[in-house]
Amino acid sequence: MKRFTGLLLSVLAVIVLAVIPLISGKASTREAMFTILMAIALASSLNMLLGYTGYVSFGHIVFFGVGGYAGFYTLTVLGWNLWLSMLVGGATAALLAYLLGKSILRLRGAYFALATIGVNEAMRALVNNMDFLGGPIGMTMKFSVYNEYGGAANALWLVYWVLSGIALLVVIVSYLVKRSKFGLGLMAIREDEDAAEVMGVRAPSAKTWSYVLSAVFPGLIGMLFFFKNGNIEPGDAFRLHLSIELIVMVMLGGFGTVLGPVLGAGVYQQLRKLLLTSPVFKNIQLAVAGVLLLLIILFIPTGAVGWLRRRFPRLRRVLE
Amino acid sequence: MPYVGTRSTWLLLVPHKPKPTELDGNIELFCIKEGTVRRTYVWTALLLVLALVMAACGGTSGTTETTAAPNTTAAPGTTAASGTTAAPSGEMKTLKIGFTTSITGKYNTESTRQDNGLQLWMDDVNAAGGITLSDGTVLKFEAVSYDDESNKDRVQELYTKLATDDDADFLISPYSSGLTAASAVIAEQYGKVMITTGAASDSVYTQGYTGVYQVYTPSSRYLTSSVDLLGSLDPSAKKIAFVYENSNFSTGVAEAAKAYAESNGYEVVLYEGYDPDTQDFSAFINKIEASGPDAILGGGHFQDGSAFARQLYEKKIPVKFVSLLVAPPEPSFSELGDAAVGVAGPSQWEPLVKFTEDAAMAAGADWIGLTGDEFVAEYQAAYGEEPSYHAAGGYAAGLLLQYAIQKADSTDADAIKAALDATNLMTFFGDLKFDTSPDHHGLQIGHDMVVVQWQKADGGLQKQIVWPESGATAAPLYPLGQ
Repeated sequence: MKRFTGLLLSVLAVIVLAVIPLISGKASTREAMFTILMAIALASSLNMLLGYTGYVSFGHIVFFGVGGYAGFYTLTVLGWNLWLSMLVGGATAALLAYLLGKSILRLRGAYFALATIGVNEAMRALVNNMDFLGGPIGMTMKFSVYNEYGGAANALWLVYWVLSGIALLVVIVSYLVKRSKFGLGLMAIREDEDAAEVMGVRAPSAKTWSYVLSAVFPGLIGMLFFFKNGNIEPGDAFRLHLSIELIVMVMLGGFGTVLGPVLGAGVYQQLRKLLLTSPVFKNIQLAVAGVLLLLIILFIPTGAVGWLRRRFPRLRRVLE
Repeated sequence: MPYVGTRSTWLLLVPHKPKPTELDGNIELFCIKEGTVRRTYVWTALLLVLALVMAACGGTSGTTETTAAPNTTAAPGTTAASGTTAAPSGEMKTLKIGFTTSITGKYNTESTRQDNGLQLWMDDVNAAGGITLSDGTVLKFEAVSYDDESNKDRVQELYTKLATDDDADFLISPYSSGLTAASAVIAEQYGKVMITTGAASDSVYTQGYTGVYQVYTPSSRYLTSSVDLLGSLDPSAKKIAFVYENSNFSTGVAEAAKAYAESNGYEVVLYEGYDPDTQDFSAFINKIEASGPDAILGGGHFQDGSAFARQLYEKKIPVKFVSLLVAPPEPSFSELGDAAVGVAGPSQWEPLVKFTEDAAMAAGADWIGLTGDEFVAEYQAAYGEEPSYHAAGGYAAGLLLQYAIQKADSTDADAIKAALDATNLMTFFGDLKFDTSPDHHGLQIGHDMVVVQWQKADGGLQKQIVWPESGATAAPLYPLGQ
C-alpha cells in the first residue's frame, strides 16, 4: 500500500473531478469537466515523453488528430461501433508513433522538437489531400448515430464516463511507468543520454516505447472528442496551438511528476474558462492568461508540484 | 552538488551521493539543479509563454478597432429601449438569444460584423417595443454571448452552458461552417431552435437536424450563378479553370460548381486546390496559361483571393472572365486598383440590392423589417463603416427569428419550428425559404446570391451588381481586355 501513496492524490483528483457533474447533475458542468479531463489525459500522456524522457514534442497533437481521423473513418464509412473505432484510433496513433520513433527519435533536443512540428504539419497536408477522408472538407456524422447509444443526451454522458476512465488510466499508467525500471531508464535518458547508454539503458528502444505510450491515449481521446463533435476537419484535428497549450499545462504543474500535469491541466483550463465567461475579462482573456502564465513560469519554473517538493521535503512521499 | 569529473561519472555518483533532502535516490529533476538541462527547460518555458502572449495579442489587437465600435452604439439601443412607453396590459418577457462570437482568432473580422448586425436587430426590435403576442405578452430580447476563440475546443461547452445554465430561448450559430457543425449537435440535443448565419456549408444540413435553419445561400450554389452569367454573356466560352483554396468551404463550393459546369456542357480544363496560406500563385498561373481557359473560377478567402487577382493581372493572363469567392464583395478589394477591374464574385447581399415590400407582395411572400437603404444607414450610424454581407446576415438571422415568433404567436420551440418550416419570407437580405425534406432539413433554398463586379467609374472603382439581370446595376464588363 505504501508503494502507492504517491498515486493517491492524483487518482483522487481525477475521481473527484469526474464525479462533480453527478452531484450537480447539470450538463454544463459535465461539458466543463470534459474539457478539463481531456486536458488532464492529454497532458499526462505528453508528460510521459516530455517529463520522463526529456524530449519536447511540439506536435504531440498529431496523435489526437490521427486517432480521431482513423476512428471517425471506421465509424462513419465502415459503420463500426464507437468502441471498436476508438481502439482503431488508439492503435493507429500507436503505430504512427512507433514508426516515427524509429526514425525521428534518433534526433535530439531542438532537432527532435522541430521534427515533431514538421510531422504534424505534414500529416495535416496529407489528410488535406486524401479524398477518402473528405480532404479539406473533412467528415461529418449523422445525428441519428447517437441513437445507437441511447440518444444524444445519453451518448454525451457515455462519452464523458469513458473519457473519465481514460484519464484515470493515464494517471495510473504514468505512475507505474515512473516507478518502473523502464521509467528509471527514461529518466536516465533525460539527464544524460550517453551516460544512460553506458549504464545499459537501450536508449533508442526505450525512447520509442515511451513515445508509443504517450501516443496511444491521445489517439483514443481524439476519437471520443470528434464523435462528440459530430464532425472532423484537418484544421481542428491537427491544431498546433493546442499542442503548445499542452506543454504549458505540463510545465505549469511540474513536468516529470504524476500529479503535475493533472494539476497543471486542471488549473489552466479552469482559469481559461473563468476568464472566457467572465464579463470583465472575456474580451482580453488570452492576454490575461498569458501574463499569469508568464509570472508563474518566471517565479516557479519547476511547476507547482516541483516547487512544493523542493520547499517541503516531507511532501515528497505523497507528491509523486 | 559540486561538479565532479566528467559528465558520466557525475551521473554515476548520483544514486550513491544524493542530496540530503533527496529521497529514494531516484534520478530527479532537482539533483541536477546546477545542470544545463533545467536551464534549457526554463528557456523553453519562457519561449512558450511568449508564444502564447503573442498569439493573444495578435488575436486581441485585431479586435480593438472592431469591438470599439459597438460601445458607441450601446447608447442608442439602451436609450431607445427605455424610451418605450407603450407598456401594454400583458406580461413582459425577455427572451435570451445565445451565441458565441470569435472575439479572438482568425474569424474575428467576419464574426464581429455578424455580431454587430445581430445586435443592431436586437436594438431595433427592442426600441420598437418588442413583439406583442395575441395574448398580450410583450417579448423583448437580450443577448448572451461568449468568445469561441475561432476554434472548436470549447464550442460545445459554451453552447451547452448557453442552453442549460443561461437557459437561452434561441440560439444563433457561431461564424463558419466548422464551428456551426459542432454547436448544432448541442442545439439539437436540447431541442433549441438555432438560426445559422455565416455558415454556408451544405453538410450541416444533411445530418438529420430538425431545428437548425440556414440564412445563407449554401456553398453548393456559390459559384453556379457565375457559370450562368458566363453562359448568358458568351455561349462560345466553354473552357473553365478552377483554382480554389483547400479549405472546407471553398472546396465544397468548387466541387459543386465543377459538377454544375460540366452538366451544362462546359469543359473543366484545370481543377487545382491551393494551400490556405498561399501567397505566390505563379505555379498555378503557369498551369492556367498552359490550359488556355476562357474563364477562371475559384479563390477562397480575402487574403489569398486578393493576391491571386493581383498576380493574374500582373501576368496578363488572357481570360475573358474571372469570378472569385469572398474577396471581391469586400469593400477593401478596391485597393488592388487596376487589378480589381473586371473581377467578379458572388455575394450573399449587397447594399445596392433592392428588395421591397411590393416585390414581396408580387411574389406572394411575407415581408418583415426595414429596407436595404435603412439598414445601411442604421449600420453606418452605429458602427461607422459600410456593412458587409456578414453584418446583413446577422441582422437577417434576427429578423427571421422575429418573423417566426410572430407567425407562431408563441415562444414554444415546436410551434416556431413549424413556422420556420412554412416560411416564405422576403427581407432586405432577400428571400428566405427552407428545405423541409428529412435529408436536407433546414437548408436554405429561397435565398439567391448576386454577382458583383468591380468596374471603372468616375475615375475610381465601383462595385456593381451584374447578375441576376433583374437586379443588375450595370452591364457586365466582358470580355476582360488584357
